[in-house]
Amino acid sequence: MMLAETAAPAPSVVSAPDTAEAQIIGRHIAVDFTHAGRRQRVLQSVNISIPRGSFVSLIGPSGCGKSTLLKVLAGLVPPSEGSITVDGIAPEEAAKKRVIGLVFQEATLLPWKNALENAAFLLMTADESIAKSEAFGRAEAMLKLVGLRDAENKMPSQLSGGMRQRVAIARALALDPQVLLMDEPFGALDAITREEMSECLLDIWERTGKTIVLVTHSIDEAVLLSDEVHVMGTGPARIIETLPITVARPRGEESYSEPAFKAAEKRLRGLLIESHRRTS
Amino acid sequence: MTEVVQSGMSQDRSDTVRRPLPDFVPAAGLMIVALLLWELGVRLFNVPEFVVPAPSAVFRSLIESRYHLMVAAKVTAIEVLVGFILSAVVGIAVALVIARFERFGRALYPLIVLFQNVPKVALAPIFILWFGYDMAPKLLLIVVIAFFPVTIDMLAGLQSVEPSFVSLMKSVGANKNKIMLRVRIPHALPHLFAGLKVAITFSVIGAIVGEFAGANAGLGYVIQFASTQLDTPLVFSALLVISVLGLAFYYVVELAERFLVPWSPKYDTRQRSH
Repeated sequence: MMLAETAAPAPSVVSAPDTAEAQIIGRHIAVDFTHAGRRQRVLQSVNISIPRGSFVSLIGPSGCGKSTLLKVLAGLVPPSEGSITVDGIAPEEAAKKRVIGLVFQEATLLPWKNALENAAFLLMTADESIAKSEAFGRAEAMLKLVGLRDAENKMPSQLSGGMRQRVAIARALALDPQVLLMDEPFGALDAITREEMSECLLDIWERTGKTIVLVTHSIDEAVLLSDEVHVMGTGPARIIETLPITVARPRGEESYSEPAFKAAEKRLRGLLIESHRRTS
Repeated sequence: MTEVVQSGMSQDRSDTVRRPLPDFVPAAGLMIVALLLWELGVRLFNVPEFVVPAPSAVFRSLIESRYHLMVAAKVTAIEVLVGFILSAVVGIAVALVIARFERFGRALYPLIVLFQNVPKVALAPIFILWFGYDMAPKLLLIVVIAFFPVTIDMLAGLQSVEPSFVSLMKSVGANKNKIMLRVRIPHALPHLFAGLKVAITFSVIGAIVGEFAGANAGLGYVIQFASTQLDTPLVFSALLVISVLGLAFYYVVELAERFLVPWSPKYDTRQRSH
């Protein structure tokens, strides 16, 4: 779905065929950070188009700007150049309208609230007028969806790292967003928990049909979950290739042994090694 | 074989392990031994009472002067309590202002650190000069000494919220005040109590120093008066009362912490490690 690099200046009005399919459209996005008085380009001319209901991964070496790109999509970092729309509006507006749900590497649960209260917290912050019972009802349903049926009353300190991250996902889902943006959500977890969480996320995506954008370091994770993987590189930070993943759905443990999986994995590894070499 | 588990928080339920002793038992035992050695030493070497009184002499003085000491303790206790509350209020307010109004905070913070380097005890005579022998100069001295740890710890607490969580709040449209009220302040509470515990011990010091500098009542006054009379046993009894007072205040703060911040990691014995 990658748009061809066009010389045309980024139009904020998108043409009809695009909106029919693409939910997130970014054109010529560039981001500069000013650090100690020096401007530095951390993202260069990114064109990205993410179809509604798809699962897309951003993968690349550290410093390739993948987290920055996710923050641009979330409306947390304004692009220095180019345009970005989510559901046809600016991402920060979309976030306020609860179109966007966010999950970060750290679960960042509030230690004085139990799992249920944590899952409801963001929804109650976003919507002051919502009835407590309604917010808790939705939070409870989302905790069930992420596989935490019996942990509602547990405090964060009583939960394992994987369970805490599940609560963080439930907290984002309770907003009922159209788009779920995840920045290395499983980066701090051990390998086995990580795999469990990948399958949990696959299950959530299949059941809810949300658009998911995942920033990850893991090739396996990207291939198992995604419809499309954007490989990012450094110097300057940008998208170097977009790889469609053709592994048959529904996917699961048996997908790992499919030839299409192995081919995609090999291709991604090659691209990443090449990109890494150019960095170091 | 005879492993005695020191802390009451251990989760080891093995039958071979003995029930843990309460924390105070070894400490109390050591103190009794030390007091006995002290008594023995004073008697053995015939140390004059006005130099080092034996524990028994201190105890006798404590009983004899109990009304006198109680009246003085009440004066000091009120100074400590009011001074501590004022320090907490000032300390918290300064931290909130610095955290909420960043630009002003950047100007204010270095000045506060600079002021911290002034030896506050040396200010006591000036405060007496300004405000006389009443409670006011003592309270001012306490606030000047004790607000700093409250501010520093509260500020650290307010800034301990993970940036990604702040992003999350901002993304759903929460403004700075809302983030402050719902996230930063509750996050700061465990830190705040660390500061309050330092502040309460500083408050006792402030009150005594204030009374040294100029007073006609209070335990500090009793110590100064008794030492001019070479009534060393009374000096020691007053010291004992001050220590007990300080300890009691400290535990009140700790009790409040347990009650108000039950999620503080140090009380959470159910903590799991993964």
